[in-house]
Amino acid sequence: MFKQLTRIAAGIATAAALGAAPALAQAQDAYLVGVSGAMTGPVAGGYAPIVESMKAYLDHINAQGGVNGKPVRLVVQDDQAQPSRAATNAKKLVAQDRVILLVNTSLSSTYAPMVAESKRAGVPLFFAGGVCPPATYPPADPLQFCSTAYSANLDSEAALDFIKASSSSPVRIAFAGMAIPLVRTGIEHAEKVAVSLGMKTVGTQFSPPPAPDYTPFATKIKDADPNWVFSWSPWVSQVRTFEALRRLGWDGPYVAWAHLNAEEELARIKDGRFYVIGTNAFLEDNLPVHAEMRAVAHRTGLKYPISYLTEGYVAGMVLEAALKKVAWPPTPQKVTAAMSSLKVDLRGLRGGPLEWTKGNHFRTAQYYRVWRWDPAQNRIVRVQDWKAIRAGR
Amino acid sequence: MQLAINIAVLAAIYALISCGYVLIYRATRVLSLAHGELMMLGAYGLYATASLFSGHPLVAVAAAGALALAVGVLVYFALMWRMTGESVLAAVLATIALGILLRGLMILLFGTQTRHPLDGLGWTNASVPIGGDAFVSGIGLALVLATAAVYGLLFAFLRFTRWGIRMRAAGQNPLLAAQRGIGLHGVYALAWGLATFTGGLAGMLIASDAGLESTMVVIGLKAFPAALVGGLDSLAGALLGAAVIATAEVLMVHYVDALLADVVPFFILLAMLVVRPWGLFGSREELDRV
Repeated sequence: MFKQLTRIAAGIATAAALGAAPALAQAQDAYLVGVSGAMTGPVAGGYAPIVESMKAYLDHINAQGGVNGKPVRLVVQDDQAQPSRAATNAKKLVAQDRVILLVNTSLSSTYAPMVAESKRAGVPLFFAGGVCPPATYPPADPLQFCSTAYSANLDSEAALDFIKASSSSPVRIAFAGMAIPLVRTGIEHAEKVAVSLGMKTVGTQFSPPPAPDYTPFATKIKDADPNWVFSWSPWVSQVRTFEALRRLGWDGPYVAWAHLNAEEELARIKDGRFYVIGTNAFLEDNLPVHAEMRAVAHRTGLKYPISYLTEGYVAGMVLEAALKKVAWPPTPQKVTAAMSSLKVDLRGLRGGPLEWTKGNHFRTAQYYRVWRWDPAQNRIVRVQDWKAIRAGR
Repeated sequence: MQLAINIAVLAAIYALISCGYVLIYRATRVLSLAHGELMMLGAYGLYATASLFSGHPLVAVAAAGALALAVGVLVYFALMWRMTGESVLAAVLATIALGILLRGLMILLFGTQTRHPLDGLGWTNASVPIGGDAFVSGIGLALVLATAAVYGLLFAFLRFTRWGIRMRAAGQNPLLAAQRGIGLHGVYALAWGLATFTGGLAGMLIASDAGLESTMVVIGLKAFPAALVGGLDSLAGALLGAAVIATAEVLMVHYVDALLADVVPFFILLAMLVVRPWGLFGSREELDRV
């Protein structure tokens, strides 16, 4: 019996070694990047398209010969936006897969375990799609980098700047958002900026994530009689509050953050006074890169609308540009050095290049556009073209 | 007036969801923790039938309702039937596993994007003026009417029909009911079917109002305090519990702080568990058995 067990164990070990050998050889011949993303779970809708399009972009690059003649291989692990799973993923990606770069595309609650593993192993950590953590802003942590479009404070400043520029009468503004820490930080900053711009804040409503009915929150906002409402929050909270306000008869202008699905949703809602502000170009711009995105999405069979893919495509471009600067054989140290001084041409997907410096791993400038639905033309129109805000503060 | 409407709509949502918890518990003594997922499945069912029967919205709604009823019966015969004779805890754990399985399946089948079944049906969620400065959405009004109809029909079903009386008997004393020739499996399957139908109906209406995404499961759980406050084995209790929780939430949002709206149902639930653990209309004997 013991002999039999020993034989089985030896067989399993041999099979495992034989199975692992080609994988290791393959890994050693590619730039290995480890991703922990919310691919499933309640918030996957905001993150999975980013990972999918980043992967599609890199597959497209690989098909053209890769980076420096080597393919880029993404090892994707699902964390379901759970910190414990993100911790396990990071450990596995670093210790077992020996990735040269970690990527997080998930909720901010998953950041701490990944940051800890990144620091322990000296592997750089790239936030692509989740909110940029404070450690990426100046003075930046040497190992943390971010390309995500949104930024709580800068977005509020850009939105309120747009509201002030668009309003001919004194602004009475109300704020709406979901009751989560990140949103509260952004809205609290917006309240301060509004005061500094001479606006009158008439109310702030935070709704729980998720609410079965947003009308009670919208009723409170309507009763405060604002002539503008600004919401910086997950899409569901932004749009449900807006729709509830409209059903209550409030017809003022409403500004929301342009999430992945903003373009699709503007066309669904068709309200001329529902504005979205964002930093990624829309498909309406019809850039040459959009044609490429369509072709890549078609070739790889992506199941998301093309308009959802910009954020992941940007992340893919950033990865490609960083790895181009990494001479073979790649190491985490070489990747960190490459990312610490990087300027990426985003081919019009944003208002300007994404530039990281030694002390600024967010970007040196953030560019904002504003869109709305134009009922007269029956299409999305640009209300404000790229407007830069310096992000080196 | 607007506050009263807001309370009525929220109470209708909670009542429609929580009657599913009550139906299953009352008949089978099992607390279904997959109710949120079954509710979401009902909403996805409507999304699918809206595409399938494009241009025939009433057919799509009827098909989605029938599908929800069938899914409930199927869940009983495929899974819960095997729990007969096992401990209540095992059955509850089976519903948790069912919930996890359904969540995964729904993501695999429908993806993670927000869906809008109402668009597929070709209907719009118009605003209906009620009088003065108050409004209710078309779907909000439908929710209130659907809840009233569901509760009215359930009360009539349980009181006046043969199957309803069998269901009450099986809930009160399954051994005696079986000895009197009542087929318990049929009764239990019907309870699961009706619970999934009412939960699915709630899911369909909520998704028509607010879109359909995976966070709907959480809304299913939010109705749980309403069922417990009212008494887990009482339909009238579920109705009253939903009204109490909805009133507290809406008033909290309006007069105190919206952030407390999420907490107050559980505060009420805790207070109820301390003062009257079996709920407003619940049966004390049943809770002692749990």
